[in-house]
Amino acid sequence: MSARDHLARGAPMLRVENLSKHFGGIRAVDDVTFEVNEGEILGIIGPNGCGKSTLFNCILGQLQPTDGRVTLGGEEITGLFPADLNRRGVSRTFQLLQVFPNLTVRENLILAGQEHVGSMMSRLFGPRDAGLGTAAEKMIGFFNLGHLADSKAGGLSYGQQKLLDAAMAFMAGPRLVLLDEPAGGVNLTMLASLKERLRAINREQGATFVVIEHNMDFVMSLCDRVIVMAEGKVLATGTPDEIRADPAVIEAYLGH
Amino acid sequence: MDQLLQLVLAGLATGSIYALAAIGFTLVWQTSQTINFAQGEFVMLPAILVLAAVKFLHLPLPAAVLLATGAFLLLFGFGFKKFLVDPMLRHGVLPLAIATMALSILMKEGAKDGFSAEAQQFPSLVPDGAVNLFGATLSLRDIAIFIVAVVAIVLLQLFVTRTRTGRMMQATAQNPDVAKILGIPTEQMILLTFLINAGLAVLASFLISPIYLAKFSNGEVIGTAAFIAAIVGGFNQVRGALLGGFIVGLVDNLAAAYVSSAYRAAVPLALLVLVILFKPEGLLGRKEERTV
Repeated sequence: MSARDHLARGAPMLRVENLSKHFGGIRAVDDVTFEVNEGEILGIIGPNGCGKSTLFNCILGQLQPTDGRVTLGGEEITGLFPADLNRRGVSRTFQLLQVFPNLTVRENLILAGQEHVGSMMSRLFGPRDAGLGTAAEKMIGFFNLGHLADSKAGGLSYGQQKLLDAAMAFMAGPRLVLLDEPAGGVNLTMLASLKERLRAINREQGATFVVIEHNMDFVMSLCDRVIVMAEGKVLATGTPDEIRADPAVIEAYLGH
Repeated sequence: MDQLLQLVLAGLATGSIYALAAIGFTLVWQTSQTINFAQGEFVMLPAILVLAAVKFLHLPLPAAVLLATGAFLLLFGFGFKKFLVDPMLRHGVLPLAIATMALSILMKEGAKDGFSAEAQQFPSLVPDGAVNLFGATLSLRDIAIFIVAVVAIVLLQLFVTRTRTGRMMQATAQNPDVAKILGIPTEQMILLTFLINAGLAVLASFLISPIYLAKFSNGEVIGTAAFIAAIVGGFNQVRGALLGGFIVGLVDNLAAAYVSSAYRAAVPLALLVLVILFKPEGLLGRKEERTV
């Protein structure tokens, strides 16, 4: 617990101010404000259609917010494209798996590690691992993918692909990682290992996490702090224990 | 036996040329869902451009070859993507396919009206001649064609699988959205596949024109053969296109000798029908998997 308290005291890494996203008359995200501290694991939960995915997409530059600001380490990043954000140390995992199916696990990791950086000559004649071999090896070991390193990613089981997806998000040494339903469709054994690995890498790399997730047990045991959203607005914020006890949250989940 | 060996070699030689065109097909299909129905004309035109540069600009042959290659890469590598594929693909795969059909007619008629309706001699890169091997007389030209085409394909395969640029090309073909998020210059990678396709067409053109002569209508035969080769081998696989090219080349040549030369063109089509009926993903192809 003391490690978590220590981390939670870091400076704000991500700040979302008065963010709104309207689709015609629908306010999918409505004036949302929150902060995530450096090294913190923040969970965002809420019923289907509450706006959490839209919020994610606005932060990640896949949708342009109607209004509001997003800053990363004090620098404004509102409306930047995904590739620009990636370059600034923001990475993500995907709800639906998005690996490169016909490349090996190792090649997937090297691609995720910003290998496109460098001159045309180095891309043609430089070493194949692009200087990322050691980092890829470390990540393979960390996520227990050693026996699969040279297998095609498309042949992996769903759970293994989820681990690879997570490993790819950490290859470039990100400052902020947004995890989109990391536990979705993962079996119980794999889930425990995934959660343990995520906590370990959070401690080791000191990266800040924002997690969208439906699996309550997973969120409550992984996150330092949780935001509950309903109808595009922030309904409650607090530690997992505070959230579990909040009557407004219980009502939002059980309906009116 | 003697004749069979010669036929097999001739089949492998023309097959390797079909493979060059078929590989171009699969490359542009993988990176931008383009089925290029002008692929045969892409193979027809470079030889005509060389002859036109010699005739109209009075260039010596090596200079004409360089000029034709450069002009073709610019027009049918870069220009094809920029001015035909990009604008049409926004409207879907079908309008683009039809636009490439229109392009094939334009190229064919353009070559006929702009240059010549007659078949023209095209200089061979290697001298005519024959070698004796295992008691069979084998054409030196066939051997040279086979070697040049296979070396080109091996080099391409090494480029795609062994360099970082090649890996980025593969990533772009397999998952363009994520590749873009990771910052891979996907537009450059797609352009590169179009340039490679044009380059393969130039090579195929220079290899096949000494045999078939340079003629505006060559594209019909070559385009059909390459298309069948790509489908038989598996449309989403470079290895498949290579195998398909060899099979079509062999079947084509053996059918001409042993079945009937009048029906030679029908035999590869029959093969196509059989593959579509019994193994629609092609001999080496994977079933297309798309996440929704």
